[in-house]
Amino acid sequence: MRADRHLSAAELDAFGHELDALRQRTLAELGEADARYIRRIRAAVRFCCWSGRGLLMLGWFPPTWLLGTLLLGLGKILENMELGHNVMHGQYDWMNDPEFAGRSYEWDIAGPSDFWRHTHNHVHHTWTNVLGMDDDVGYGVVRLFPEQRWKPFYRWQPLWVTIQALLFQYSVAIQHLRLDKVYKGKLSKAEVRPLIKQFNAKVLRQWGKDYLFFPLLALLIGANALAVLAGNAVANLIRNLWTFTVIFCGHFTEQAAVFSKESVVGESRGHWYLRQLRGSSNLNGGPLFHILTGNLSHQIEHHLFPDLPARRYAAMAVEVREIAERYGQVYNHGSLWRQFRTVLRRIWIYRRPPVEAVPVGA
Amino acid sequence: MTLIPFAWVRACSRLLGPLRRLVAHGWLRESDVDVVLKLLHPALRLNRVFARVTQRQWVADDMLELTLQANGNWRGAQPGQHLQLYLERDGVRLSRSYSLTAVQANGRVQIAIKHQAGGRVSPYLLQHLAVGDVLELGPVQGELSWPETPDAVLLLAAGSGITPLLGLLRAALAQGFSAPITLLHYVREQGQRAFAGELQALQAQYSNLQVRWSLTAVTAEAGELTGRFTAEHLRSVTALPQCRVLACGPAGFVAQVQQWWQHAQVPGALQVEAFTPPAFNAVEGLRAVRLGFARSHQQMQADNQRSLLELAEAQGLQPAHGCRQGICASCTCTLLSGTVRDMRSGALFSEPGQPIRLCVSAPHADLEIDL
Repeated sequence: MRADRHLSAAELDAFGHELDALRQRTLAELGEADARYIRRIRAAVRFCCWSGRGLLMLGWFPPTWLLGTLLLGLGKILENMELGHNVMHGQYDWMNDPEFAGRSYEWDIAGPSDFWRHTHNHVHHTWTNVLGMDDDVGYGVVRLFPEQRWKPFYRWQPLWVTIQALLFQYSVAIQHLRLDKVYKGKLSKAEVRPLIKQFNAKVLRQWGKDYLFFPLLALLIGANALAVLAGNAVANLIRNLWTFTVIFCGHFTEQAAVFSKESVVGESRGHWYLRQLRGSSNLNGGPLFHILTGNLSHQIEHHLFPDLPARRYAAMAVEVREIAERYGQVYNHGSLWRQFRTVLRRIWIYRRPPVEAVPVGA
Repeated sequence: MTLIPFAWVRACSRLLGPLRRLVAHGWLRESDVDVVLKLLHPALRLNRVFARVTQRQWVADDMLELTLQANGNWRGAQPGQHLQLYLERDGVRLSRSYSLTAVQANGRVQIAIKHQAGGRVSPYLLQHLAVGDVLELGPVQGELSWPETPDAVLLLAAGSGITPLLGLLRAALAQGFSAPITLLHYVREQGQRAFAGELQALQAQYSNLQVRWSLTAVTAEAGELTGRFTAEHLRSVTALPQCRVLACGPAGFVAQVQQWWQHAQVPGALQVEAFTPPAFNAVEGLRAVRLGFARSHQQMQADNQRSLLELAEAQGLQPAHGCRQGICASCTCTLLSGTVRDMRSGALFSEPGQPIRLCVSAPHADLEIDL
């Protein structure tokens, strides 16, 4: 599927040095423009969310209800992807601004930021696509690669994936609770209890805001509470479907590679870079599309340089692609539809158990 | 934009209590509240301390005194302390420490800023900061305090070390301190005698106050001393009975004063404060260690002499930081494994998950930090 050239240790070192140099060049350029950009993104988030919530107060009147719902959904997408996800990576820590501090930012989604900082920033980004170490590979409910051991449960995975897509924010949120380990008895209830408490508190706040406070506010001012409730629910759904689509296109496309636990023992910097490149896939599109995906359309660059401001990825991608080609590595990219289709195909194909090689004449 | 007068900003603060509780419990995001408050008045915030510049006055050729009026979140300070002042330059929020030269009721404070050639903050503040501008203030710190005994007081200042001592002196005189006070200020040249006019006026008003200058870069005029700090200077200005000494200035100056104090055996007590971080005792020989940055996936060959912040920057990382002196905790980071040495105390820390301050921690043994 991938026709990558094997790199010798010396080549890997040189490959790593070239990417390190690109990183240093970009770091040196960070400044005013990046700070202005992330503040504008936040202003856009506020505009979308607040105007969307305002329009929903006008009830079921289709033009305002639809626009209000779309704006609220768009606001949540921008907040989760381009603002929250990127800020929580510490991409803007260099600004020293407490409002954009990666360690303390809390995003507008069911999962607590602390959970995400562990499962995503630490586990997923360190062990990208390493089977048994990166839980993002299928999130425990989907088999996407032939290397994953088949279980009967996977037969119905198109259904599980659909449910996961609809409830994506909760799927991401519970990942950190490791309910599978609790179920198998590897993790005690006492160990999970504080996490569940934190989880419940965050979900309660999110529900309280979207499904209680704003509908009640509508009742108070004589607006239609049901229209507000429905608008919030649909906005959350839009966000769930969009983030699911973008995120599944990040590492599970046709040409994405997975790795064994053994292959990463004593991994060098160059090797880590190489694994990020091989395990990630990009989406082609215009500037607005990139912003809506939180620049995860530049998944390769994001995985090579997770702590650099995402708005820099587009420019870096040109150089990364050139470096990848020079080292004979596939630079996995394609349109959203083309890439997503290959993900869907994986979900469909690998629901079945691997075909046993039947000896001829047996 | 200003929709309400500044006088209301301080009064508003108490009304914001319910919002503060919502923010504290995660129901509201502080920055979303602040963006609205900022529209009412640029200095109005939920929790953060912002202040308006109400006056600027040159007190030396290279020193400006600012009078700041803080918003209602200001929790007060003592004379002799210093505060962090934030300024955004090129997208980065920089912070610097400045001593309080006066602390008044109602959140009115004065700080003095000395021009640091080549600095990123002070030249901008001196040249561009105007009356009416709004700045963010950070935590107040510092241990210098006026002695509580009725003994004579000797104040030794070098350069901008005059600022906290002046804050203490103004407050003590205003409260009627009557024992003899001697202030000896070391400056490079005539024009740097900060607050000279005010000090001379105070000297005329209070008979127990004596102020002397020593010029270190040019020949002194009548009545002034020449050169850096020596014991002879002290003998010429004061009889040195039982006395309390307060010294403030660059690390080298403070070290000299401490040395003198140990030899002179003057009965009393010595308090010091140094601006630049003291040269850390390199008790241990240079040793190479492996330093890992977990989040940035970088490894480096480090040494045990430089701070983690310097090492990280040498590696091309840009960790969040503030004062670089172990004061503001902006650079706090989690130690994942290994051992660090607190460069100020020499204490070793090896608890995984422990927050450490990068700017004052040096590697002790191979380690990994969450950066």
